[in-house]
Amino acid sequence: MIKSSIVNAVLDEALRTGGDFSELYLQDTESNTLSMIDGKVENANYQRKVGAGVRVLKGTRSAYAYTADTSGDALIACARAAASALKGTKEFEAKAVNVDRIGTPWAKIPFSEIDNAKRIALLRDGTNAAKAYSDEITQVVANYMDCDHRTWVYNSEGVHAEDRRPRCRASIQAVAMANGEAQTGGDSPGYGMGFEAFREKIDIERSGRTAAKTAVTMLHAPECPAGKVPVVIDGGFGGVILHEACVHGLEATSVGRGNSVFCGKLHQQIASPIVNAVDDGTLPGEWGSMHFDDEGNPAQRNLLIENGILKSYLVDILGSRLMNHPVTGSGRRQDYTYAPTSRMTNTFFAPGKDDPEEMIRTMGDGLFAAKMGGGSVNPLTGEFNFAVGEAYWVKDGKILCPVRGATLIGKGAEVLMKIDRIGKEMWMAPGMCGSMSGSIPTNVGQPRIRVSEIVVGGKGGAL
Amino acid sequence: MTYEQFKDACFALALEKGCESAEIYSVTSDGFSVNVLNGELDKYAVERSKGLNLRVLFEGKSGYAYTEVFEDPEVLVNHAIDNAKAIESTDENPMQGACEYPEIHEKPNPFVDLPEEEKIRLAMDLERDTLAYDPRVNRTEYCSVDTGVVETHISNTLGLKANSTERYSYAVLGPILKDGDEEHCSFAFKFGPEITDYAGIIKESVENTLLEFNASTVDSGEYRILLRNDAAGDLLSAFSSMFFAERVQKGLSLLTGKLGETIASPAITILDDPFEADNPRAFDAEGVPSVLTTVAENGVLKSYLYNLKSAKKDGVVSTSNAGRMGAAGAVTTAPSNFYIVKGEKSFDELKAALGNGLIITEVSGLHAGLNPISGDFSLIARGQLVENGEIVRSVDQITVAGNWSAATCASASRWAAESVRRRC
Repeated sequence: MIKSSIVNAVLDEALRTGGDFSELYLQDTESNTLSMIDGKVENANYQRKVGAGVRVLKGTRSAYAYTADTSGDALIACARAAASALKGTKEFEAKAVNVDRIGTPWAKIPFSEIDNAKRIALLRDGTNAAKAYSDEITQVVANYMDCDHRTWVYNSEGVHAEDRRPRCRASIQAVAMANGEAQTGGDSPGYGMGFEAFREKIDIERSGRTAAKTAVTMLHAPECPAGKVPVVIDGGFGGVILHEACVHGLEATSVGRGNSVFCGKLHQQIASPIVNAVDDGTLPGEWGSMHFDDEGNPAQRNLLIENGILKSYLVDILGSRLMNHPVTGSGRRQDYTYAPTSRMTNTFFAPGKDDPEEMIRTMGDGLFAAKMGGGSVNPLTGEFNFAVGEAYWVKDGKILCPVRGATLIGKGAEVLMKIDRIGKEMWMAPGMCGSMSGSIPTNVGQPRIRVSEIVVGGKGGAL
Repeated sequence: MTYEQFKDACFALALEKGCESAEIYSVTSDGFSVNVLNGELDKYAVERSKGLNLRVLFEGKSGYAYTEVFEDPEVLVNHAIDNAKAIESTDENPMQGACEYPEIHEKPNPFVDLPEEEKIRLAMDLERDTLAYDPRVNRTEYCSVDTGVVETHISNTLGLKANSTERYSYAVLGPILKDGDEEHCSFAFKFGPEITDYAGIIKESVENTLLEFNASTVDSGEYRILLRNDAAGDLLSAFSSMFFAERVQKGLSLLTGKLGETIASPAITILDDPFEADNPRAFDAEGVPSVLTTVAENGVLKSYLYNLKSAKKDGVVSTSNAGRMGAAGAVTTAPSNFYIVKGEKSFDELKAALGNGLIITEVSGLHAGLNPISGDFSLIARGQLVENGEIVRSVDQITVAGNWSAATCASASRWAAESVRRRC
């Protein structure tokens, strides 16, 4: 994308004021989005985002400058702006490229070969399937996104890494209404693949039916009772509990500054002994995957928790300096307008040995969270909050009825210790994760699990 | 190709290829931010960006294409026309023509023009004074200053020319306090010229954090609630899309068909005020001149929020509420300064009137635990337990659950007297 003489001049200019590490990041991203409401396309957008960022490190201090102008002069000016944060004199020279890392794209069918008619057909199929599910479905919103994300990273240690990450996703949201009340359901499959994902992996009609089923089921559900009860959380997006309640607290952004409940807990028991947790950016074609991270390091499979023992944090280059911990291929950013930091990729509880039916049969009274919504967490205290999109009340080990408005509230460290069942089959679901370096695609996943008790929020009476 | 040449070429090509009209929305931003930790620059960032969004009207349909590379206007025009051809909705898509704009008086903000060194010094002083403010302040999670200038230009082939320059500055302070085994962090922020009010931001952030100590939960039940103005503002902001005409027209709002009906307690009047002194603007994201809109008056729904397209559909005029998700996004709806008008009682009077109940100081998880279509919310919350009109202790690990309509109708007499306001 850019001449090597310019790259070297930029990296060197960035070190002019005493930095010990400099990095140039370039990005060229094309994306297409369409939205359909009530079976009609409402909006279509094409976006091309191109820009560059220069980062300088000196010890654990960092400076970042970015520009949408990728001409040689603009990049030098950008390097100068980043360098101006430091006031010293030059101590290091940028090395010539000595490592080349080129990621081979996973796309079989590039999005540039697809016209809008094919994209619209998908949205129509998903919409029709949702509407056909029930007369109570009053509205369907369907969205389509594809994105060809190309990155180039160069640093003063001589690393050059290029990656190309195609991604696509469709989402169907269904609204069910009756008697002045409305409930919603959704399904949003996505993969790190070309358009072939819609043929090989995604069944858009099933997504439509899934969304409609949740909305209609919740429309007729009583309010969830509140209380501290056992909770079974189903696989797939249920893994958001691990993502929010635990792994955000393992990121160098919080651990490196001493702002996590998991600080200083390496090699200690932080979860029930049946818990194994993994962050794996190498899985081919997955939503959170990449060949090289946004600092040019190879993606890795990181075993985070083994038999309940904390084995690794998620660490970027700056985090590695703060924590004296090896980098884990976790440096990520939304785009050139953000400096990279430690982030997740595809994060999941590994499969266990338990029977998914037995864990409900033996739970007594409690909640079965079939579809989780989003959530948030305070990494300092580990307090979290998740919405449950589709939930069922369990009485004497039997599913009694669906319940609406349930939330799960607690502290991550406590919940991890209280996991007493992990099912045999693991699956994942895509999401967008927001943090200091912007919004990035990550997968969450898990088998069906059981937590011996969680505070369930809701406004219903006893069932 | 310069930006101006690129823009002119896009307009000429779009008309040549049969578009009825074409519009360009471009944003140039120039920003600077620092974060300080332990008396040193922890983060330092300089931003320069420019993006251009082309919207064309082709056979009555709107299509968009955005770029940050000003090289090939034909590719951009072709993408926009392709996207217009994809539209199936039969709604009309008007564009704003040439017009006059109201004069806007922004508060002067000399801080934006200070040299970098001065801005860095503010962040350094802020951290130093925070650490000295209270022995329980252990460190800061963040202590940052952001400033910049954002220029927005909208022009189209119908003669529209709208230019604005926003000069922003804000400081965010998150002190971490430690007392015994407990460690907590909350935050406070100041924006605009108030950024230099160190003492105010330190006091507010430390007091917010102190509220989190010695907290425990309360039994489940129905409580009388006093929502502090910032928590109430967060809730209002999260529910604001219920008032968007485009959501109402598509059956995605519970307020469909409720114009002229009582939707809240008589204590509630909601305004959308683009002229609000802290954050005024002359026009919206379609270049429509700003107007003040009374959304609800004494509990009665008076108006939805409109952009040009949704206004045309309802046969009304736009309320100047077109918005965009950044320069790259399509036109949608967005509030300007959207708030509940203050009542007559002070916070202390409301606390006394509460008698026994809870003050809610913070709700979180709004993107997950709140559904603007159904109106349901179930949110993690913090606050204080009030007995006989006096604060007894802090409360955490609770959820506040309810439905939007029930909450606004039943509890309105207890809304904080201070004006509830959120920048949107």
